[in-house]
Amino acid sequence: MKTMQTIAIIGASGNMGAAISKSLAKGNYRLLLCANELNKVQAVAEEIKSSHPAATVEALDCSVEASWEADIIIAAVPFAAEREVAAKIKEVANQKIVISIANPLNDTYNGLVTAPDTSAAEELQKLLPNAKVIKAFNTTFAADFATPVIDGKQADAFIAGNDAEALQTVSEVVSTAGFSPIVAGDLAVSGTLERMQLLLIQLNMKYDYNWLAGWKILHQ
Amino acid sequence: MYELFFQKFNEKVPLTSEEQEQIKAYLTPKKLRKRQYLLQEGEVCRAIAFVEKGALRAYTVDESSNEHIIQFAIEGWTISDLYSYLTGEPATYNIDALEDAELVLITRTAHEELLRTQPKYETFIRLLITGAYIALQRRLASNISLPAEERYTCFTETYPDIAQRVPQHMIASYMGLTPETLSRVRKKMADRR
Repeated sequence: MKTMQTIAIIGASGNMGAAISKSLAKGNYRLLLCANELNKVQAVAEEIKSSHPAATVEALDCSVEASWEADIIIAAVPFAAEREVAAKIKEVANQKIVISIANPLNDTYNGLVTAPDTSAAEELQKLLPNAKVIKAFNTTFAADFATPVIDGKQADAFIAGNDAEALQTVSEVVSTAGFSPIVAGDLAVSGTLERMQLLLIQLNMKYDYNWLAGWKILHQ
Repeated sequence: MYELFFQKFNEKVPLTSEEQEQIKAYLTPKKLRKRQYLLQEGEVCRAIAFVEKGALRAYTVDESSNEHIIQFAIEGWTISDLYSYLTGEPATYNIDALEDAELVLITRTAHEELLRTQPKYETFIRLLITGAYIALQRRLASNISLPAEERYTCFTETYPDIAQRVPQHMIASYMGLTPETLSRVRKKMADRR
């Protein structure tokens, strides 16, 4: 029997955080949803419990406690909030998988605020040097989690990181969420993945995809 | 978070604060709630757990669904399925928390890296495993050679903390007795007092 892993989702009341949490409820995971506003995150937990009565889910207002219990931490927060979250969880995230979902977009969505030679994930890794930071869930819109099969095709979800075991674990998480996981490379690939989502956001606004769009690699 | 771990470490092998920081970078702090599993049979045991706080047990389940407790672990002890940890083969033990627990985990990768880079870690682990081996030999000798009453006395005298914190039916399982037999033994002892 597979030991149930605990996943802490920091920022679980946000669009992406709530979407990720709901999509993982069907997996063999214990979900600790946390956000500063406990009532909002409780509502997400209640929603999960009513749609998946067998799910193990709990709402917390303390990211430190949740991360201490967790095997995997998902930082479902905007790039601007990563520094604050990292400072809080630094000690308890030691040696743990921390998933960076952020895309460091500027205010007008026409570029990134990070320097060309880095990425949100690499910046998070600098803040959490002893954690295993993995880039994932950044090339998918929140709505994709409810509809991971778009136009008959299962959306790909790209993963990047430096630890082989952690990449394998996160691939399983991504599969549970309903996407086809593709390990893109080491953490330095994160910048490319973040720019891919910048492009998808721009295309979404230009062609009105209604925020339901994703990437699919066509291959033989 | 790592207080007891480094206290025990320093008792066996004194560390400089720099060495302590270097070792700390490889440790995983983990909280476990009562009844939560750290490991389930069939899964590979990925970490040795040092108990900072709380109590855990390792047990096997036989074909008739009876649980057999192999080991308890309270503050200052370590617990794992060592065979699975070292070989990468599926575990035969289940490990769960008997009380809310705070653990320091040493994953296999961290273990290998620490063995390679920290000679003091190697000494610490050697002493830890030697101690555990001796405890196991004693437990085996007690289980196969002592009558139930002496076995129970030996257990409560050696591990008074565990005897107080753990339910009687688990102590019976640990000693290879039925709960009824243990209950009779305890009654007999109480009557004599």
